[in-house]
Formats: sequence, structure tokens, C-alpha cells
Amino acid sequence: MAEMNQEVMTKSQLEYLRNQRTKEMRHQLVSFGLMIFLTFMAFILAASDVPAQFTIPIVLGFAFIQVILQFFYFMHMKDNGHDFAKLLIMTGMYFAIAFVVCMIYIVWIGAPIE
Amino acid sequence: MANMEYNVPSERWPVHPETATAEGKNKFVGFWIFLAGETVLFASLFATYLALKDSVPSDDHLLAAELFHLPLAFVMTMLLLTSSLTSVYAIYHMRNNNFQKMQLWLGITALLGAGFLALEIYEFVEYVGLGHTFRSSAFGSAFYFLIGTHGFHVIVGLIWVTLLILRNANRGMSVYTAAKVNTFALYWHFIDVVWVFIFTIVYLLGVL
Repeated sequence: MAEMNQEVMTKSQLEYLRNQRTKEMRHQLVSFGLMIFLTFMAFILAASDVPAQFTIPIVLGFAFIQVILQFFYFMHMKDNGHDFAKLLIMTGMYFAIAFVVCMIYIVWIGAPIE
Repeated sequence: MANMEYNVPSERWPVHPETATAEGKNKFVGFWIFLAGETVLFASLFATYLALKDSVPSDDHLLAAELFHLPLAFVMTMLLLTSSLTSVYAIYHMRNNNFQKMQLWLGITALLGAGFLALEIYEFVEYVGLGHTFRSSAFGSAFYFLIGTHGFHVIVGLIWVTLLILRNANRGMSVYTAAKVNTFALYWHFIDVVWVFIFTIVYLLGVL
């Protein structure tokens, strides 16, 4: 098994690191608050009598914002060293959107071949 | 310092313990590849669900708008969202080299996940009672396959975190266990990401 190389930290370095982490935790709490808020708004919109053409894009937009918060703050994608992870998830998202758009088009929108 | 040294003093605990070793780095990259594959898996299930939504053979089958109850979906969403936050707390304490608190937050995550799973089972039982089953219609098949695959992921996550908590209870923290806990946290967040799309596309757009 590989060795890990970690230099011994001084007390002040440790203190600094802990402060940085507490700061990050605060950001994560704020993004959690935002997620809860977006979820509330999405449910209220869906339960209200607002027309569907208006609700659908907004609710989908809320979902994408929530997912971006989840990836960047909860899964630490905003930190350094996540370029490969971003590339992979973006590739996955590309296929995801392609699948969904194709299926909806084939089944619900597209005219049958003449 | 060896990889397997347990209960390292905080002065020597790495800044990023989960990727401090080559093994940790490999797990990290490998797991993101897995998550990209999972994205495509769930995308195909979402596409199937959207194509077959409300496709029932006759009028006596319930459709999405009559079936789904928003309050239940809301409570499930809150449980899973909160469990995502508690696993963030576990990672925070893991990086701060606080083993006991990490175990505590992992335990809370497991409890919230179990609550979610219990509600999902309750929901399925209720739907089956209403005649909406896996075999009753194309809509039913697509619905249970999508939600069921997500539920299966929750079950796997619960087993995973329980084993992690039990296995490490007596030996404490090392960069070896830190990488494992971090991988679990990524998985758990991903389950939440999938659920965000499920509650939006299946439940919210289902009742419109």
C-alpha cells in the first residue's frame, strides 16, 4: 500500500484549516437552505392552480438549480481536482438529456413517418 | 507514515484525507466514472417513464394525477434532502479528524435513509392496493422500475453505511477508512440528485 506524505502541521496552520472548513460548512448550510426553499416553492407551485405551461419550466429549472448546488457544494465539485469529475458528469448529463428528448419526441410530439 | 495507521494525531492528519493515498485517489476517480454511468442508467429509466406515462389498457386504471399524493412525496423529499446534509456533516468531521462525530452523523444519515425507505414501501403497498402494480399497465411497469431502481440504490446505500459504521467502530480512523467514507458520501448525494429529478418529473409534473 502506498505511503501518504503529510508534513507535521503547526498549531496555527491547523487552526487556519479548521476555520476554512467551518467557512465551507457555512456555505453548505446556505445551499441546503436554498434547496429546502426551492423544494417548498416547487411543491407549492405544483399544488396551486397556476397554469401548467407556466409551472413545468419553472419546476424543472428549480430541479436543475438544486442539482447544481448538490454537485458543487455537497459533492465538493467547486474544489480543485474535480475537472475529470465535471467532464464525466457533463457527459452523463448529455446522454440523459438526449435520451429524454428523443423519447418524448418519438412518443408524444413527432408525426409518424408518412 | 503507513496507510493503515489508525487514530493519527490531527497535526499529521492530511488536508484531504480521502485522496491522501494513491488508493484513495483511484477510488475517487473510479467512483465518478461509476456515477456518470449511473446518470445514463437513470436517464434511460426517466425516458421510459416519460414515454409510457399514463399508458393504461382501460379506463378503470388510475392515472398519475389520481394516484400521487404530494404531502407524502414532500415528506420523503425532506427526509432524503436532510440525510444528504447529515452526510456532509460526516465528511466535515472526517476532515477534522473527529471519528466519533463522523460515526454519529453517518448513523443519523442511515436513520433518515431508513425513514425514506419505509415511506416508499408504504407508498408502494398503497398503490398495489389501488390496483396499480408492476404488471397492471405499461405506466405501472415504467413507474415501479424507475422508483424501484432508486429505492434499490437506497437499500444498497443503507447496507453500505451500516457496514462502514460497524466495521470501523473499534478500529477508528485512517486515510484508508476516510476514502471509504468519502466514497459512500458521494454515492448518497448522488441518490439525492436522482430523487430531485424523480420528485420533480414523476410527482410534481404527474399531478398537474
